[in-house]
Amino acid sequence: MSGLIKSEPFTLNIGPQHPSTHGVFRIKVKVDGERIVDAEMVMGYLHRAMEKLAEERTYTQNIPFTDRTDYLASMSNNLGYVLAVEKLAGINVPERGNAIRVIMAELQRIASHCMAVGAFTNDTGAWQTPVMWCFRERERVLDLFEMTSGARLTCNYMRIGGVAFDLPKEFEPATRRLLADLPGFIDEIEGLLVGNEIFLARTRGVGALSAETATNFSLSGPMLRGSGIAWDIRKADPYCGYEKYDFQIPIGYQGDAFDRFIVRLEEMRQSVKIVQQALDALPGGPHSTQVPLALRPPAGEAYARVEGPRGELGYYVVSDEGPSPYRFHIRPPSFINLSALKEMTVGGTVADAIVVLGSIDIVVGEIDR
Amino acid sequence: MEGFGVSLAFWILTGVTLVAALGVLASRNLLHAVLFLILLFVGMAGYFVLLSADFLAMAQVIIYVGAIAVLVLFAVLLTPRAGRNNGETRMFLPALLLCGTLLAIILFVITDTNWAVADESPSVTAADLGEALLSRWVLPFELASVLLTVALVGSIMLVRSREEEAEDAV
Amino acid sequence: MHPFLITDNWYDLRDLGNLSGRLLELLDDALPFGLVYVLAALIGFAASFLIFVLPSQLIVGVYGERKLIGRIQSRYGPNRVGPFGLLQPVADAIKLMQKEALTPKTADRALMYLAPIVFVAPCVLLFAVIPFGPNMVFADIPVAILYFLAVSSIPVLTTFMAGWSHNNKYSLFGAMRVVAMTISYELPLVLGMLGVVLFTGTLALQGTVLWQKELDIWLVFLQPIAFAIFFISASAELNRTPTDIAEAESEIVAGYLTEYSGMKWGLFYGMDIGYAIAAAAFGVTVFLGGWTLFGLEKWVPPWIIFIGKTHLFYFLFIWTRGTLPRLRIDQLMTFAWKFMLPIALLNLALVATERMFWIEQEADDSIVYAFAIINIIAAAAAVYGWSRALGYRPEETPLRPRLVSEAGGFVPLESGGEGAT
Repeated sequence: MSGLIKSEPFTLNIGPQHPSTHGVFRIKVKVDGERIVDAEMVMGYLHRAMEKLAEERTYTQNIPFTDRTDYLASMSNNLGYVLAVEKLAGINVPERGNAIRVIMAELQRIASHCMAVGAFTNDTGAWQTPVMWCFRERERVLDLFEMTSGARLTCNYMRIGGVAFDLPKEFEPATRRLLADLPGFIDEIEGLLVGNEIFLARTRGVGALSAETATNFSLSGPMLRGSGIAWDIRKADPYCGYEKYDFQIPIGYQGDAFDRFIVRLEEMRQSVKIVQQALDALPGGPHSTQVPLALRPPAGEAYARVEGPRGELGYYVVSDEGPSPYRFHIRPPSFINLSALKEMTVGGTVADAIVVLGSIDIVVGEIDR
Repeated sequence: MEGFGVSLAFWILTGVTLVAALGVLASRNLLHAVLFLILLFVGMAGYFVLLSADFLAMAQVIIYVGAIAVLVLFAVLLTPRAGRNNGETRMFLPALLLCGTLLAIILFVITDTNWAVADESPSVTAADLGEALLSRWVLPFELASVLLTVALVGSIMLVRSREEEAEDAV
Repeated sequence: MHPFLITDNWYDLRDLGNLSGRLLELLDDALPFGLVYVLAALIGFAASFLIFVLPSQLIVGVYGERKLIGRIQSRYGPNRVGPFGLLQPVADAIKLMQKEALTPKTADRALMYLAPIVFVAPCVLLFAVIPFGPNMVFADIPVAILYFLAVSSIPVLTTFMAGWSHNNKYSLFGAMRVVAMTISYELPLVLGMLGVVLFTGTLALQGTVLWQKELDIWLVFLQPIAFAIFFISASAELNRTPTDIAEAESEIVAGYLTEYSGMKWGLFYGMDIGYAIAAAAFGVTVFLGGWTLFGLEKWVPPWIIFIGKTHLFYFLFIWTRGTLPRLRIDQLMTFAWKFMLPIALLNLALVATERMFWIEQEADDSIVYAFAIINIIAAAAAVYGWSRALGYRPEETPLRPRLVSEAGGFVPLESGGEGAT
């Protein structure tokens, strides 16, 4: 019909205050009726100059900052940072420390994916129900974090050379109970949504990215896997002894919002498997090596990457032998995943744009840093 | 259906309808004019109720308020500057003349006709209407249907051909 | 005569219609003309408020809905104010009245104030034709079904007024969606209703109920397609969740309600529930036998049966709201035009044939049971066949991701992967 009736595109600001931007993020879309003809991302509303602040603090003092970049996956961020510093300073981590890190990172992935799946379904219009179901399970993971680190959201648990505390003795039974319940919960969410006609209609073919486009945008995580590329840092470049665990990489079919959703669901299942194996083979010994408080790594640079819940989470640290890093840089996965937003939204409707935004699973704290 | 209530209803309806009609004319805001028009339609439905033509009243509301008014609203949505003041046009005088003539003719017809007055209101049910439409008036009824279908097909044809042209142009 | 059967005596309070009729008679003699209508209206308003509006609107509508949705979402729902949180709606109302009703500077003030007010009136009018019992119907007009359809098309215009008046782009989106949706959904709704009317041969609601009572069958069995169409169209016009695209909180930030606050918003919210209950009452009357319940209405007050059924029907709305995601506007339109409309036409043709056969053959009334079986089978066949014809293939869509064990590059679709389902 377009072209028949003379219509003027008008600009619609989605955000910065909008229920579906998951924080303060703004998309300036130009719409023709309901169709989007142009989209421009405006970010920076949550910028806190973290990378600059980190240059004034010691290596250990920087760990809490990493909590606050991606506040939904603080454990993964801690891990990425301490791995980079350990690489820089050449520090070895004891077996037990590595196993605990794996457990925590995978639990964090479950918690974060719960949030991603819930928020995404909320964006498709499933009125709060899946969100509440997901929160119910996420709460239990956060309880485990509270048990070990004392904090639920910003855990500040990883340390250079290991982890801050050993696991409390209630941790293992509680985790095993959670692991026993989780597959049932994932099946429940799957039963509610995956076979649902409306959900399929809303997400299938929406925001589809071909494997080539996804690679060209250097996407990572579920976004990349949704497009059918088997890429996972845990497999490709193992850290913390991930090569010891048996798990698989879920990949999607056509790279649409639905594929990203089912990839996330399956990743939760795989994470359950990993935590199970790590708990079964939890080695004894110290959980951390002694590292001087005022760490002065030799001059040089190091980049460490982990598979965060949102994708490749990289930390780049440069040392000039001082007590604080000379340069501190984060590769935030959701920032880079977001760069493909225009590619995915233009040509679709406003409602599709919201679904696409939900399927990227952005955390604005990480985008703006 | 005689009595105080009916008379009261008649005068209230008349007031509302007249105000609505004047509103349609006087309103500079296109959307307000449309809303006044809808009020006018509702008032007309009220007249039908007073005349014991229930079915017609309901049809009036469904078709005029439910469908046609909504279509007019669509047209308003596609009009630029619909919500702002619509200024004077050069068509003011001709329109006044035309409407004045029309009013004169209608007034003349009304005063000149010898209106038949029924003692009691006839009760025409929807079933009677259907019966009449499909037996005695079946030819005009079918003709009207064909006409509407032709109009429908015609409008689709108009839109289609232009669409193809637009595609050719691209 | 059994002592517990409901009688026509005025003192038999199980059918309040008799009492009010008697009262009217008495007053008509005693009072000057005209005054009796005023009095009757006042009494009727008070009575209906006490036995229907208050419990339905506040307890079932606001409290029950929130509580049930809470349960669906595995949380408690309101439980702080009053016993079991029952006073929550009252607290909400007081809060809403205290709130400042903001009006944006660029808004069309008159329309913005008018819209919530005009929104209320049709809701009250809708209940005028609903039969609550054999003698409990305010206006048993012969074209009640048309009346209901006509009056229920008015709130759409007020939502449009509301959306337009805000001078806000999101509201305008909501208004446009409302208008587009109404055009699409009025049509299958009316066509579906035509099927019902063809069967019963009456446009009166009381007549429809009596027809179902006489033949001992509910119209939902005779007209499954019409029922489904009614339910879907009603939820579309009511903006209930699978089809709440005009409000669409996660997309266009509540659409036409974006700029409303305070009691102006409260009126919309309250009347949304009112309309949902009215639609439920209409659905129960037309499709589910109204105030009858297989002879039980001779013993139990029919209005209790009716209100119970209405609230059960309303539960369907709550249920869908709690579980289903929202459709996109073009999908909703496609569904109305390409799916519901042809099926409604098919249904109409089937009903006309059956009705013709019934009359021509002078068949026994029990033939409706045969019709019911035929229609249910035809409905299933039509829905399945038409969806296949439109290209819907459920079995071709994998719902689980492929699994691979090694990281590598792109995995083409043909090579599959391990454990693909």
